[in-house]
Amino acid sequence: MAGLAAPWLSSCAGAPEDDASTGASGGSGGGGGGDLTVYWNAGHAYAAYDKVIAEFQEEHGVTVNMQKYQWDDLRTRLLSDLASGNPPDLVEESGGWVQEFATTGDALSLQEYVDADGEEMGFPEDWQPKTISRNSYEGEVYGIQLHLTCTMLLYNRAMLDAAGVEVPTTWDDFLDAATRLTGDGVYGFALNQDRSYSWPWLLQNGVRYYDPDGGDLLVPRDKAIEALQFQADLVHRHQVAPVPTPGTDYSGPQKLLSAGRAAMILTGPWDLAPIQQTSPDLNLGVAPALANDVQATVQAGTSVFIPRKAKNPDLAWDFIKRITALDVEKAATEEAGMLMPRLSWAEDPVVQENERYAAFAEGFAYAVDYTEDLRLTGKSGEINEQLYNTLYQDVVMNNTPAETAVDTFVTEARKVLDA
Amino acid sequence: MSAATTTAPSPSEAPPLRPRGPFRRSLNRRYVITAYLFLLPAFAFFGLMFYLPIGNVIANSFNTGPQADVYAGLENYRRALDDSAVHNSFTVTVVFGAATTIGAIVLGLGLAMVLNQRLRGRVVFRAMLLVPYLTSVAIIGLLWRNILDPQLGILNRVLSDLGLPTQTWLNTHPLATIIAVTLWMNVGYTMVLFLAGLQGIPEEFYEAATVDGAGPWQRFWRITLPLLTPTTLFVSVMAVISGLQAFGQAYIITGGGPADRTDLYIFHVFNVAFTSRDFGYASALSFLLFLVIVLFTVVQLRLGRRGEVQY
Repeated sequence: MAGLAAPWLSSCAGAPEDDASTGASGGSGGGGGGDLTVYWNAGHAYAAYDKVIAEFQEEHGVTVNMQKYQWDDLRTRLLSDLASGNPPDLVEESGGWVQEFATTGDALSLQEYVDADGEEMGFPEDWQPKTISRNSYEGEVYGIQLHLTCTMLLYNRAMLDAAGVEVPTTWDDFLDAATRLTGDGVYGFALNQDRSYSWPWLLQNGVRYYDPDGGDLLVPRDKAIEALQFQADLVHRHQVAPVPTPGTDYSGPQKLLSAGRAAMILTGPWDLAPIQQTSPDLNLGVAPALANDVQATVQAGTSVFIPRKAKNPDLAWDFIKRITALDVEKAATEEAGMLMPRLSWAEDPVVQENERYAAFAEGFAYAVDYTEDLRLTGKSGEINEQLYNTLYQDVVMNNTPAETAVDTFVTEARKVLDA
Repeated sequence: MSAATTTAPSPSEAPPLRPRGPFRRSLNRRYVITAYLFLLPAFAFFGLMFYLPIGNVIANSFNTGPQADVYAGLENYRRALDDSAVHNSFTVTVVFGAATTIGAIVLGLGLAMVLNQRLRGRVVFRAMLLVPYLTSVAIIGLLWRNILDPQLGILNRVLSDLGLPTQTWLNTHPLATIIAVTLWMNVGYTMVLFLAGLQGIPEEFYEAATVDGAGPWQRFWRITLPLLTPTTLFVSVMAVISGLQAFGQAYIITGGGPADRTDLYIFHVFNVAFTSRDFGYASALSFLLFLVIVLFTVVQLRLGRRGEVQY
């Protein structure tokens, strides 16, 4: 019975066909009482946003129903709601969903709103250019970037100083540093169990996830194999990193760094606050991304979008304008260390005078949205979240030769693309 | 009149009043209507919460697309037969279901036998063993995930303090680990069931067997085990169903990894539905599991009933 329940959520009958809320200001859902239902990531419930919500509620006379979820649960809930024709008014997404839901017709085009209000809010001129394309589909804007992050090398400065190790800049330097830092219950580095953390290495080796022209995956193949094998070797050959534990929690390396059990990790700004809270005395450094063939890292961050069948799209758009304002961005950064997509934010003294924020902000220049081409195939879920996950875990956890695992991945992924 | 009176049966001997003709039909109709009115909430509940969704899933299994609104005929079923990920998750689930079922019976019966003795504090032990079963699988999963963490978990800390080598349980033996956690969680429940079964066996059987010279093993094999057949059958049917439908262990503890080694079937279906957003295919996979569970249950019931004995 339980097995039958999950897919049934997709088929709750009675989804209205003709209640799509379209149009910009003046369209449906103008407010004046009622609720604005917002799905939000549980880790992004900042006091800076609470202030915006309070003002919004007072001005519009509505209640903002902020429903907070972890990403996986948020997606499950959202897909169920979309299937039943009863979606929320606004959704924060983890990166990549905007285009996915735009292609399936579940996201509302924001182009008319942007045309009307873009200049006033500084969109798109004040947003990092890369954040526009990742939230657009067929020339129209479907989402607005809320946070912009990237993955950088975080290190325990005291450990590096004690070992006389310079901050690494290349793969060779990195391996040498990790080797020298390993010992006495401390690992030089800690890999994440989450597959997305493997991508800085692949990008630094010049690998593209999907080549839309050739229709091929992980190209150049030998470079992809080399990058994956390098990570596995850190664990199994050089033994400078513990084997990552499978699961859904991506905070393992952060906990090891905080506990003084790892000297270096790859992560984003979301781990700055937990490290500060659990280990306030840790002398944390943020280094630029490593370079092998090129210097590169993963671009990440969340966006907000309005479902096509949202009941209050106008209110939702007004909420977007308020929550992406520069002052709110700065307040959220000061409060939680989160990084933001506005160009003016990156130039602000709040960022420039903080060594850690500035280091991350510099990474935006070479950070890559590595799944963009794959997302546009509509097959990203199966290929990236299932098949690539298996590939990464097989190589790094099971120590399967990268060449073998990549061959299996490409064969299976091609089947998905051809289906 | 008087004769009639004297020959009339006493009230206790009188045949029951049986209304005849139209009155009887009317009364029957009223009974039937009343009965159905009382049953209506149950029918409505099961219809709405079980049979309608099942029907919907079956209908969806012939569709495809993100909204499962494009007719695909039998394509989803054909695809399932050729899908190596499905074959893997089915194999993993059968191993998981078999191990948790056999483990639940053996351990549950063993504990029940021990705690059926007149031991001091047995009530406390029974209660303690039942506590994990009363706890949410999510909490159990998080608890064991933290205990088993190879770097920061308490288990490796204890092993290390004892001078023993530390282990990466979730990497080296992930399926065995979640089987062990599941048994730890469920064994208290099967113990209670077996305990009830053991207490239903008359003591005279054991006394007679002892008088006839039967030893402890003979008494166990000839009396205890045969008379526990109904309990064993119930436990095995329920354990197989819950084993084949297990989800939380993969979702919370391992995420299906490493590399799909704990990709339990329902977890796989969940990912097909909510990660790949392929609800039609997920529906087909769900329906196939439903058929497998029905098949297993029918076979178990037939085999179990054949083994029932009465003294």
